[in-house]
This record gives sequence, C-alpha cells and structure tokens, in this order.
Amino acid sequence: MNEFVERQMKLTWRPPKKSYDVVIVGAGGHGLATAYYLATRHGMSNVAVFERGYIGGGNSGRNTTIIRANYGIPAAVRFYQRSVDLYRGLEEETDRWLMHQQKGILWMAHSEGAVRAERMRAKLNTEFGAQTEFVGPQQVKGLCPQLDMSGGGRWPVLGASYHPQGATARHDRVVWALAEGAMERGAHVHQNTPVDGLILDGERVAGVRTAAGDVAAGAVVSAVGGHVSRIAAMAGLRLPIRTHRLQAFVTNHYQRQFGPIVASSELFFYASQTARGEMLLGAEIDPQPSFSYRSSHDFVQDVCRRALRLLPFMSNLRVLRQWTGVCDMSPDYSPIMGHTGVPGFYITTGWGTWGFKAIPAGGEQMAELIATGEVPELIAPFGLDRFARDRTMADRGSAGTH
Amino acid sequence: MATFLVDGQRVETRAGDNLLVAMLRIGVHPTGGGCLCLGGDCPNCLVTVDGVAYTRSCQVPARDGMVVQRDHLGGEEPALLSDEPTSAGDAAPVQHVHCDTVVIGQGDSGREAAREARDGGLGVVTLNAREGQHVTGVYPGPLVVASDQAGCVLHVHPRREIVVATGAAELQPVVPGSDLEGLVTARAAAALVTAGIDLGRAVAVGERPAGPPPDSLVAHFPVGEGGWELVRFEGDGRIEAVVLRRHGDADAAEERIECDTAVVSLGRSPRNALARMASDLPVRVVGGAAREPELPPCPREGTVCPCSGVTVADLDGVWERGFHEMELIKRATLAGTGTCQGGVCLPYLRSFLLERGGRLQPAFTARPLNRQLTVRELAAGAHTAVTARSPLHDEHLSRGARMDRAGGWWRPWTYGRNDDEYRSVRERVSLGDVSSLGKMAISGPDAEAFLERIVPTKVATIRPGRCRYVLMLDERGYLLDDGMLCREADEDAGDRFFLTSTSGGSSFFELWLRDWAEAFDCDVRILNQTASLAAINVTGPQAARLLVRAGARELPAFGRHRHVRVAGVDCRIVRLSFTGELSYELHHPAADARTLWRRLLTAGAAFNVQPHGLETLLRLRLEKGHIVIGQDTDYDSTPRRLAHEWAVNLNKGDFVGRQAILRTNKRPLDKRLAALRAEDPPPRRTAEDPSAEGAAIHDGERYAGYVTSDAGTTAGGGRPMLGWLYLDAEGNLPREVTVDGRTARRVDGPTYDADGERARVTVEITSESPQSLREFPVARPEATDLAAEAPTGRPRLRRLEATRVSATSAALDALIEQPPWLAGALAFRTAPDELLVAASPDFEVDDDSHAIVERETAFSYVWLEDATAERFLDRECEWRRPDARPALAQGEVAGIPAKLWFEPGRTLILTPAPFADAFQRRLTGSLAETDGDAA
Repeated sequence: MNEFVERQMKLTWRPPKKSYDVVIVGAGGHGLATAYYLATRHGMSNVAVFERGYIGGGNSGRNTTIIRANYGIPAAVRFYQRSVDLYRGLEEETDRWLMHQQKGILWMAHSEGAVRAERMRAKLNTEFGAQTEFVGPQQVKGLCPQLDMSGGGRWPVLGASYHPQGATARHDRVVWALAEGAMERGAHVHQNTPVDGLILDGERVAGVRTAAGDVAAGAVVSAVGGHVSRIAAMAGLRLPIRTHRLQAFVTNHYQRQFGPIVASSELFFYASQTARGEMLLGAEIDPQPSFSYRSSHDFVQDVCRRALRLLPFMSNLRVLRQWTGVCDMSPDYSPIMGHTGVPGFYITTGWGTWGFKAIPAGGEQMAELIATGEVPELIAPFGLDRFARDRTMADRGSAGTH
Repeated sequence: MATFLVDGQRVETRAGDNLLVAMLRIGVHPTGGGCLCLGGDCPNCLVTVDGVAYTRSCQVPARDGMVVQRDHLGGEEPALLSDEPTSAGDAAPVQHVHCDTVVIGQGDSGREAAREARDGGLGVVTLNAREGQHVTGVYPGPLVVASDQAGCVLHVHPRREIVVATGAAELQPVVPGSDLEGLVTARAAAALVTAGIDLGRAVAVGERPAGPPPDSLVAHFPVGEGGWELVRFEGDGRIEAVVLRRHGDADAAEERIECDTAVVSLGRSPRNALARMASDLPVRVVGGAAREPELPPCPREGTVCPCSGVTVADLDGVWERGFHEMELIKRATLAGTGTCQGGVCLPYLRSFLLERGGRLQPAFTARPLNRQLTVRELAAGAHTAVTARSPLHDEHLSRGARMDRAGGWWRPWTYGRNDDEYRSVRERVSLGDVSSLGKMAISGPDAEAFLERIVPTKVATIRPGRCRYVLMLDERGYLLDDGMLCREADEDAGDRFFLTSTSGGSSFFELWLRDWAEAFDCDVRILNQTASLAAINVTGPQAARLLVRAGARELPAFGRHRHVRVAGVDCRIVRLSFTGELSYELHHPAADARTLWRRLLTAGAAFNVQPHGLETLLRLRLEKGHIVIGQDTDYDSTPRRLAHEWAVNLNKGDFVGRQAILRTNKRPLDKRLAALRAEDPPPRRTAEDPSAEGAAIHDGERYAGYVTSDAGTTAGGGRPMLGWLYLDAEGNLPREVTVDGRTARRVDGPTYDADGERARVTVEITSESPQSLREFPVARPEATDLAAEAPTGRPRLRRLEATRVSATSAALDALIEQPPWLAGALAFRTAPDELLVAASPDFEVDDDSHAIVERETAFSYVWLEDATAERFLDRECEWRRPDARPALAQGEVAGIPAKLWFEPGRTLILTPAPFADAFQRRLTGSLAETDGDAA
C-alpha cells in the first residue's frame, strides 16, 4: 500500500470550443492557478487552458517544491508572503491533500559578508510581514542536528536566517488540485494541444491557433514556461528573458527525519526531505542559456561534493534520480506579470527559480487583473514595462541559489 | 571462501558467489519477497551493505567482512551527537578513461560489438556489470559514468561511439502473491541451480527454462494463446502453490499446483534506459537491448510497481479519475520512481494504458541514475571552487588573524583587536593586505581609446603618473565595479595603464574587458596581474614616515603613482585613499610580499604599527562615506542613484552604459544612496548585532528605504550609515528620517574629515639629517677586505656585496652582542631594525626573531680620505663633522641618498647602486672643481 498514490482528485476533460472568454497558454501551476482563481474568485469559467504536453509537465513538476517569502525587496516579500498565506489555506480550500508541510528554512552563512546579508534579510522580511530571524550556530544545530557545523573544516556555519514559514508541498498535487478546481467549475483544460500562433485582430490579440484549430478569445494569457520568448514573439514582443537549465536530484529514502529546508548561498545548494523520506537537493541554474531538459553529471557531482561539506551523513545515501527543468530568468531576478502593451495579451513569466512558491499568489493576482482590468497593487511593480522605465526589481535575495 | 555477517549471523560462502546467492545458499531471503531476477532489474533483493542502503544483493560479490542487514532501508542509525561536528564525507576516487568506443554490457552482443570495434582498429573500453561496473548514466560529452569494483568511479569518455549492449530483462509476474518468497525468473533459476542451490519442487510458468532445467522441475505451464494464464501465487510469506487456468477463458477451472519454487518466464523487456536517456548522443543499441519490447497482457490484479508499492487497483483508481497520460500516471501513483526506475512496472503500465485508452503510449522519460551510486561516489572527481589566498595568508595567521571569505578570497577579518586596528589607522600607521584587488595591466596602441569606451571618466586627461577613481558600468548603465585607473609615468613605454577592480569582480572583469576589446576591435593587451601582484596599503598619518624609514626615497603626491623601491622591493605606489587617511597602496611582485610585509612592520615598529582587518576597513571607509560594491550597490545602481554623477563624464564620447544613462537620466529619480548620520544614542539592536544594516528607514510614516552600511560604531558624535532613500511623492529626498525609531539626518559630506585634508595632506620627504647620528648606535666595525681598502686619490664607486638583516630592534641588539658572527665584518646599524653587514659573512639568525636575512647588492660604496671627504661634503650638502668617530650618518649628498661612515682618518660613502653613476660624476666633478681650493 502506497499512501502517496493520489486517491482524491478527478480531472474532467472536455473537447475544445471555438471561443472562450479567456485562453491561457500553458497548463502549469501559474496557468492553472489563473484559471482556478478566475473561476473561484471572479465566477469566470468560460476559460480554456491549452497545454502542449500534459498538465504540470514543465517546471511545475520539476522544481524542488519550496514555499517561502524571505525575499530581498519589499515588493517581493509582500507578494511571496501572500503566496505563503494562500498555500497554507489551499488544502482546506480545495479539500485535497497537497502534502503541504511547514518545516522552516535555514539560510546558512559561512562568512561575515553572508552573516551580514542574512541579518539584513531578517530585518527586511520582518518589516514587510514575513517572519525571518537571524539565529546563531547553536540554534542552527538545534534545528538541524545533521549539520556539520564546521562545514568539513572549511565552511563553518556562522549563523543562518531562519524563516519558520518555509514549507514544501507536493508540486504535482498543487497543479492537479488547481486543475480540478477550475475544471469542476467549468473551465476547460486541453492537453497535447500546442498553441502554434496567435490570432491578431489589428493590434489586438483575439485568439490562438492550436493543434485543434483556431480558438477565439477575449483575452489571451501566456503562462508558458521555457519557450515564453517564442509565444511573446508571436505577439511581436521581445522579452528580457533568458532560459537556463535548473537541475535537481533525490536520494533514496533516508531513515531519520531531516526537519528543515537548509540552504547555503555560498556553497550553492539546498536540501530538504520529501514526504517519502528522500533527500532532495537543488542548486544554482546552469550558467549557459538552454532549452534542454537533459541532466548533466557534473551537476550531480558538484552538488554531492558541496553537500557533503555540510551534510556528511549523506555520504552513503544513493542518488536515485536526477532531472532538469528550464528557468526563464529575468535580468532583475524578479517575475514579470501583467499587461504586455499588446491589447488582449497578458503575460506571467520570468519565474526563474521561484515559480512554484508563487503559484497561488501569481494566479490570484493575474485572475484579478484579467477579471477587473485593473492591475492589482501587489503585482503593479512587476510589470513588463519596468525595464523600459528603469524601475527594475533588483532582488539579490530572490534567486537564492541562482 | 568469504565470511560475512547477515543481521548479525555469521555466513560463510563460496568464492564467486554474489551476495544474494550466498544468502540463499543458507536459506536467508531478502525481506519483502518478490520474484528474484539475479539480473539487477528488480528491487526484490535489496539489502543494506556496510551501511549503504538500497543495495542490490545480486549485483554485489560476497566479500570477506561485509556487514549485511536484510532491512534495505538501512536500519536505525546511531544517534546524532548534537554538538560534535561529524567528519566530512570524502569523495571517492575517480578514474578517467578515454577511448574510441565504450561498450556497455558484456553479454554475447556486447562481446561481439567490442570485438568488431577492436578489429576495426578502435580503442575499446568495455563495462561489465558482472565485474561491478554499473553504469549510472550516459551524459552529454559524451560521458559514461560507472562504478567500479576497485571502489573508484569510472568516467569514460568515448570519442566515437557508445554501444548499449545491456540485453533484456525478464518480465516480472504481476498477479496476487507476486510478493511471496520462492519466485525466481528462469535465468535466476538456472543461475541458482548452477550454484548448487536446491529449488525444491519447482513449477515453471511461461517459456520452458533454457539451459539445464532444475532437476526438480515438477511441472511446466506455457502461457498465452493455447496455453495457460497465471492467476496467482499462494502461500504465507513463502510460496506454496501456483494457480493457473486455461488462457482466454475466465470461467475455466483454476488449476492449483503445489511447489517450493515458481520459475517464471513471461517474456523479455529490453534494458534500453541508457539508450533512451542518450537519444541525441552517438549511441548504438545492439542485441537484446535493441529489441522491441514484448508487452505482457494487461495486469488484472497485484502489485505493478514493487518499488513504490503500486497495485493494479491504484492504476485503475487514477485512470478512472482522469489521469490518462503515462507521465501523469507515473506522478499520480509514483510507479517507476524507485530503485528499478520502471524496470518492472513499465511494460505493465504500457499494456494497462493500451487496454484502457486504446493507444500505445511511449515509455516515460528515462533519467539518470540508471544504477544508483552513493553521494560519496558521485562526488568523485568534483572540484569545488577554491577560495584564493593572499601571499600574506600565513603572515595574517601568525598574527592571530581570523580569516574570512570575501569576494572569493580569504582575507583577514580581524586580528582580534578592532579598536587598536582602528586607532592605528586614524592615529598612527597601519598595514592592510589588499592583494585581492583585481589588477589589470592594459597597454597597446589603442589602450587609451579602449579605456575611454569602458569607463565613464575622461581618460585622456589622466596625465602620466596620475591615477583616478573610476566606475565601470554595464550596458544598462548599472554599476558593475569600481577601481583606480593609473596611467604609467614612463612615456617611452607607450600608452600603458594599470586598472584595479574589487576583489570579487576581477575574474569577471577580465572577461568583460577582453570581450569589449574584441567588440570594439581595439589593439590592446590585457594582462591580469591579480595573482602575480600583491598589494599592501600603508595608511595612517605616519604612513610616509614609515615608508621613508623602509627606504622609500620618493613618494607620490595625492592622485599620483610611481615606481619606488621600498625595503628592497620594487613597488608601484598609488596614492589615493579609502580609509580617509594618508594612504599609499604598494603593488609589488607577489613573491616579495612576505619580505615587504615584514620589513614594513619592522620599519613601523617605531610608530607602533598595527595591521588592520577587513572589519576595521569597512568601518573606516563608512566614516568617509565610501561605497562598497555589492554591499551598498544593487543590480540597478546607476551612478545617479549612487550619488556618483561626479564620476561620469557624459561629454567625452561614447562609453559602455552612456546611452542607458542618457535615457534613464530623463526619468524622475526614485531612490538615492545617501550618507546618514544617526543621533546619539545610536539605534542599538542587540549585543550580537549592533548594526542597523537592513533596518527600514522611515520618513514619517512612509517607508523610505533601508540601511546598507552601519558598522555599529560612532564617529564625530554620530553614527555614520549609508542607505537607500526613496524620494517622496513630490520627488524630494527627505533630509530627516528615522532608523529604528531614532532620528537620522542625511548628510552631504563624510562624517570624518569632511574636507579630505587628511588623505590629501602634502608630504615632504625629509631625509634623516646627519644630526640624527645618535639614533644609530654603532655596531662593531672590524677589519674586513672592505675595511682594509685604503682611500685612493681618484676615488671610484664600487658595488658593495653585503647582507641586510631586518629584525626587531631587540633582536638586532642581541645579535650585535653575540659574537662571533660579526667577526671580520663591517656592520652598520642603518636603522634600529636594520643591519647592513659588508662582506657577507656566513651566519644564521635565530628563526624566532623573524629576522629577514638577504643578500644585498643595492649599494655602491667609496672610501674617501678625511680631507677629500670634507671637501666633497662641504660642497655638496649641509653637514656637521661628527663629535666622535666612528659614527654613522645618512641623508642626501648632492641630492642623492647616501649613508656616511666616519672612521678616524677616512670616510665611507654608500649610495644606492642606481645612483652610482650620477654620484660618481658629482664626486669626480666636485673634486676636480675644488682641486684648486685645496691647492
């Protein structure tokens, strides 16, 4: 008996119609959350989400499932805190087990400069509503007894910022719950139906060309991950986005409990334990842009080496499986949400290495924008036009381990 | 014969047994049951070996001393000690193997492929699972990673081809009872019989087992059309009977055959995961691995995925609820995500989906790791980025410094006496190791034009021998780095520049410069001297005196640089200031850094010199309002936001970032980095964290930014800080704000020495006059060759062969008092901490004194008769005859530095060798001109 077999959710597939009020391109977390919140918060269910593969098959199913709000600029702290809060209520709201587990995240510092950065993070987070405090080595050890506090003699843990609301949830289940919630209110989700083009009516985007034929739409939202630059180009837009690989891996089941999520921005890796007991490790994005989903050995090799410095207990764990997602990186390490300047065409992108944790808030805010036509205050700073206006959302704390 | 432990039980086994066979030989079955394949294809033989969980016992040779736990999860670990550091796991060794072709698998097809390749003259590497070479993955490169029995990890780099000859796996049964003990595949049965293991009463299901059939085969039931259908296995923990019925007739009566072992042969499934994960690489699949998979009948009941415990009922459940894609089924049930990575379940998933959906779906993505190595093994061969060390690293450690990583370097954070480090800079003189600065030499015909396009400062107006603080911007007009740009003084050398950058930025910055040089098609040479040059910042009001004492004969004025020999080391001295005090940055060959550092400390002993660490430096610069890249700047820091417009010349022609600045300058300013002075008492947080860095700044109720720098210290009656200030709705920058509830005022100038007089102070080098004779107690002048030389009528300067001893004053006192080492030598105490010993006597100095003993050929000398000397000195300098002889004096003679040694009847003059010719000319000329006077 496998307790992790999904036994609750029901996905209802319907044939595509010729026209929808809203067409969303990309049935990942953000696309489905937008559909979900349009249906649940604004009563808009004449909505279709088109997906070239299967739902959640892109980065929504390839991330390391971390939820946190300990960002580095006020606008980001507020936005992600909204997401943290929505996540905390999502199991109850959807009545589905999403394996949401609040476990706290420790962001470790091995140098005075990093101590300073983590202290700053704590103060800024506190000011803008996210709980983060700086904790000393003893508290760090207490929270995560598995740590070698000497860092293998080379990377001593001088302290950490501790964000107790840091959490994880099962990424696939989040996607499915949102899909189910949207579907049961009438929204359509079409798998294996790539969008090959946009239908333009003058300057306005009026629909999409899909593998299942042309579909008219009152509004089109790109919630594409990875190939977003191509979709944007169909509307004549150039995006300040570069796509990079991001890899991760899990080990076999680890017998003991590994409590928090631990991260080191100097050793460039982070680790947590999945509900199944596997140790899940991630690190920074690959330096060179790529759309490839291929995993590399040097990634797993390097991360294993770094992880052993702090978590020597992992030495004898076997690495079970590695995988790769692709990250749309914006120049300022912040997402891009909102109008595109092309009438009828909205975008949510630039989700880099921080997309999963933003799913509920991103969907909620995009839905509000589409339903009301007004840019919600929470995402106003994240518009695409900020680059032209020299109002970038430079956020060193965002990327974490970019 | 090998002896090992299984769950504490001592087991002896035959040589050549794998662990599973050895266990079965004594009747010990791995936990969990299930059909054993002996091919590494299933998760049914997992155990824990020597603390490594999830180990396939069929793939591990039984070795002497092995400790095996049947619990494949690893059992209970010893409790973690809460306060003791655990030892770091070491990575396994790696072996790189290069070849033309790598053949994975050494069955018939693998051996054949290897032979063909060898016959074709290719270099072939074979990987054989039976010899412990398990391939984890095939990666771009191409790179094949495999374990090896010897305990190291193989990285195989094939130039031409990867041949996947991994054969085929046998299908596992999926029926109720398939998790009982006593089930084996046909190949496993053959291997066990060969090993002499008694299977008892065996029933074969499916194909008749090939090879020698087990003697005890009691029945054989072919499956499929015209044959039988496997219904279930019965038993309690261990198989007792196989139940079958006629194929295709659900109503047919069940046949129950009692047995001790069921031998299952239901078909083959190609082991093609390695090929599937490498579809875009030069991979050739041969033999069984290349065959089309035989799909088994759709399973009706039982466990499909033994790794994750997924049943047919689970598959039905998710199918009914809309999960129809192979990848979704995998995620919804977790089938295929365990040790065997779908080896068992994938054929059944495909047949299940074919039957339910009428469409044959492709296999789910094959991912590494095909065979799971440990973290320790996978780390083999990894190199973590090194943290660079200054050549003075050990010097800092020996002075009790706590080293810290900063900007990719180990730097002295503090020597444990921050207050004194601070006062030493402000009141006396201090040394700072700034070797980590990025240092680029830039030359070539286009050097000036190139730099004009890189930095926003006008380069053409930097005259030879001058230096200027410069910013470096990216194309968006955001600050990348800052540094000093020096133009070489020697105009013969053509246009040559020396450009520094911050410690962390140097490697990126080199690439940045080279990239632009290419883009602009500039004829320049860029030499990264970051590692080859060390740098010591001599800073404090006594800095010039220290350097003169250390032998510097010239020092650059503020904003200039020049090459000066200091304490025997050739330096480029740059005079700007980060600390706010008189500062000389001495760039010099890294190989000389220790010598220079020690000599500077020795020469500075008289001023109570104390090195300062990075923590103190950050405080010092904050009092001056100097920014630190990365701490006070962000990814969107334009010069305007940083209040550094003064460092940008928009009228000088194009440079990187200029267009962006022109564009962004038209936009209203939103924020600005401001120097703040907080009221006393300062906002104090906690004893551990006195700094307000990161604290919000409020303008009334309005959030108005945050503090980027606060050293937690006061200066000038206030607490200096830097921070980002957001303009208010009217576009004004607030003058008075609050930090932590305390008032802080925005200030326009630095807190410390607002006019910069301390850093810019004019220094006049005054040579020690001959009056200072008494400062230099005489060492023992005794007879040597040199001493024995008589003055001649036509004095000629000659090169002095000498030894220079630099040590603390006390150490030199001790040396002088302890003959015989000075016997026969002529020694001058040229400074309290320096002894110049002529004729290079052979001696050693106690290591503990940290003395530096070096051969010194930097001086030329000449003996003069008293009368000649007086005639010459009277004409060429102001001097006074010493009251007693011997006596030593030093100063300038004819404008040339010199040391004078007065003995009764004769005088020795020493001058730096480079001045010898000039000195000789003055001496000869002077004596010629005064010949008449003498007459």
